[in-house]
Amino acid sequence: MLTNTDLEKPMSLSPASESPEDAQSGEIDDSTLVRRAQAEDVSAYDQLIRRYQERIYATVYHMTSNHEDANDLVQETFIKAYRALKSFKGDSSFYTWVYRIAVNKTINFLKQRKNRVHMSLNDVDFNAENDPDLVALVSDKTPRRDLGLTELQEKLNDALQKLSEHHRMVVTLHDIQGLSHEEIGKIMDCNVGTVRSRLFYARQQMQAYLSDYLK
Amino acid sequence: MKSDSENFEALRKLIALKRHEIPPPGYFNRLPGSIISRIERGEGQLSFWERLAANFTVRPAFAYAFALAACGALTATVYSGKGRVTDTAYQPTSKPGWRTTSSDEALGFNPAEGPHVATWLGSTNPEAASMTLPSLFDVPYRTVQVNYQR
Repeated sequence: MLTNTDLEKPMSLSPASESPEDAQSGEIDDSTLVRRAQAEDVSAYDQLIRRYQERIYATVYHMTSNHEDANDLVQETFIKAYRALKSFKGDSSFYTWVYRIAVNKTINFLKQRKNRVHMSLNDVDFNAENDPDLVALVSDKTPRRDLGLTELQEKLNDALQKLSEHHRMVVTLHDIQGLSHEEIGKIMDCNVGTVRSRLFYARQQMQAYLSDYLK
Repeated sequence: MKSDSENFEALRKLIALKRHEIPPPGYFNRLPGSIISRIERGEGQLSFWERLAANFTVRPAFAYAFALAACGALTATVYSGKGRVTDTAYQPTSKPGWRTTSSDEALGFNPAEGPHVATWLGSTNPEAASMTLPSLFDVPYRTVQVNYQR
């Protein structure tokens, strides 16, 4: 069950997608795996993929609203990261570095794909139907009480797609992925003030698009 | 006055719906295998230029050294080429590259002094063309004897 407090903090998607600090407290830390992968140990890289695949996928998927595109981009991200791994000096964490590759790849892809948006949305999981906040939104607060979760999902994705790539990325990383402003700044190579202003503007835009569903 | 977080509370709850969108079952079990097999097939290998660009990004010292070497090579090429042109430009007509006309000597030009004006003007060499041309009035004075006998 989601509470307001939960929404303020990053939601754990699965054990594999815990925070980087948690991930590093496991059996083998990232830096060791990176060193082994740099020496062309593919099994070490496989572990790194398993550690971060869900978060990278989620970011790319929420940006594209298309599972097939997200799948391609995630694969290309990890392949590119592997090829460039020898140049990785550890100035930032592997997690931030690979995220940055994914973000750049996704933004480039979206610029090329402009004006031919085709959504291929994933199913909403069973837990969503029990989420009190969403149930309230669907049944009580919307003018159309018959609005189902799937329709609400489509409206939400439509609204997201209307934002620019950079604004959508900030919303995705902060409001969906739960990353801090500082982390987003590092990933998107901009300062915290820019992240905050983009987030504020993006939320304002989305609120305007979705005003009928937020009354 | 409401804070930003209060203003956007309902929106944030709605956006949270995105967290419930999940890929097809088993997707994350298959994904690492697909990536590793593509890596093992050699996909995504960087070309020479991409590797070079990556080195520039990561090691600025490498970029500076490369730029310095390139500038050095360019300068050396320019200077060696310039020397060759200069040598040729001042060669007497006995060397190849300058036209020697049979009328030069007849007109009193000394080939050792330099090329004929016509040779300068006819040259397609910009270096040579930009040099100061010999004066058209520097033709050596020659005494001509005329017999007015009838």
